[in-house]
Amino acid sequence: MREGFPLPDLQWEPTREYWAGAAAGELRMPRCTACRRFCWYPDGNCRGCGAEQVTWERMTGRAKLFTWVVLEHAFLPQYGRDLPFVSALVALEEAPGVRVPTRIVECAAEDLAIDQPLEVCFRPLRFAGVDGEVVAPFFRPIARLSVA
Amino acid sequence: MSLADWGHAEPYEDVSGEIGIVGIGEAAYSRASGRTSRQIAADAVASAIEDAGLKPSDVDGITLSMVDTDFDAAAFHEHFGTSHDIWVSRCGGGMTWAATAAYDAALAIRRGDAKTVVNVFSVDWASKRGELVGGPGHFHAEELFKQNLEVPFGWFPQPVYFASIARRHMAEFGTTTEQLGSIAVACRRHANRNPLAVMRDKPLSIESYLESPLIADPFRKEDCCLISDGGAAYVMTSLARARDLRREVVEVAGVGLGTSKTGRYWAQQPDFTATPQIFSAPVAFAMAGLEPCDVDVLTCYDPFTIVSLMQIEDMGFCPKGEGGRFVEGKALHFDGGVLPYNTHGGLLSHAYVLGIAHVVEVVKQLRGESASQVPDASVGIYGGYTGPQASTLLLRRGGA
Repeated sequence: MREGFPLPDLQWEPTREYWAGAAAGELRMPRCTACRRFCWYPDGNCRGCGAEQVTWERMTGRAKLFTWVVLEHAFLPQYGRDLPFVSALVALEEAPGVRVPTRIVECAAEDLAIDQPLEVCFRPLRFAGVDGEVVAPFFRPIARLSVA
Repeated sequence: MSLADWGHAEPYEDVSGEIGIVGIGEAAYSRASGRTSRQIAADAVASAIEDAGLKPSDVDGITLSMVDTDFDAAAFHEHFGTSHDIWVSRCGGGMTWAATAAYDAALAIRRGDAKTVVNVFSVDWASKRGELVGGPGHFHAEELFKQNLEVPFGWFPQPVYFASIARRHMAEFGTTTEQLGSIAVACRRHANRNPLAVMRDKPLSIESYLESPLIADPFRKEDCCLISDGGAAYVMTSLARARDLRREVVEVAGVGLGTSKTGRYWAQQPDFTATPQIFSAPVAFAMAGLEPCDVDVLTCYDPFTIVSLMQIEDMGFCPKGEGGRFVEGKALHFDGGVLPYNTHGGLLSHAYVLGIAHVVEVVKQLRGESASQVPDASVGIYGGYTGPQASTLLLRRGGA
């Protein structure tokens, strides 16, 4: 397996902009310039209209929790130090039809609920026994406004 | 969500009633054993040919997997000391192909490419486990979109994919942990009755299921399949020829194959809580002229409890979303259940041989030879699954 696994390969072209965005504190998604459809995962031409031109656009970072799993077992040894943690799929406000894999932070697992509102936050991703770190888009619950 | 949005049925020709399964063979099912997949395949094929009452030189077709099972024509000849022409298809083996091999064999027999075809699948992943990153997740870890967008976030490997699907199914339809547990318990009870099953000596009650630790919440270990060494094979020939052989005829009555556009990216499948079985099963039922209510016994590819639950819904045994209530209690048990299911123990408790033993079990049921025999079973069905695809094989006793 590649050196640095399971950190992402920041140089891999199809997802380079996703990780470059995270490093700049932005959640960016690939979108077809012709039909405006989100091209996720970005594996070539637009799946909607076949256009070649895909641009990366900044998202608001607001999302809903589509589903999640609490990892209690180290399916990879590199996951071990972080257990338990919440791995999730979220549906972005602008792109509800595609799902972004992420981790949910700043929330106890027992307080999570399907479709709950989330917002992006950027945190360093590190793994036991792996050199280096990568800033990654995680999600957290949107803080509830206190009602007077 | 309209069906056309995320998948389709493959346009299959009608092969109903053209061929039958005339022999079945199994190699030992085990934990790590040091056997190679080729040795396992040879054992299974030899046993299937013997069961059919044939000689190795009678077999002039092999369908096997693109990966793993390394038992091609050269290996066949080396093992059996034969030298005749053999038609070979790499679109056979386990998973979805444990069903669709029967379709490809029917066409090959129709074309005259072969008269008698053996489908074989074997696996030595228990012995190889140490070489694999994330066990069977290895193949997903190597896929670069997963490696760069899923694995860094812990969305890996298969137990996490399917626990995510289970969570969503629970939220959408009210499916419960106990309902998933009832699938695991049914499989284990059948395995406890099957001397060939890896988990033959390990009972599982719903209470012990609920007490067992979570590994990928909402999944417990018992929601997940075994990792095994083992394999099996089955022999097919024309229905006319099948009637002259020694075993009771088991007719291939219907076959279907459905495909999801989103392929191996479970995260992106628009209808997240469904399987391509919704495209596949109607094709097989129509080809056979049968309906779900005609089925006496079901085996389905069960890497995780939720996959069986979804396939039961998607094959039409109950409406979508009612699978949880459908499988409750003893509904899936061989003795009195409404839908006897994985009566050999399944991937969860028999062995992780990727579906080939599921087809063998349906044949045993239709011949009256199962360790957990369903009385007078005459129609059986296998649901195959890979994620990107699902397949359906309807078998009928006698070949009327």
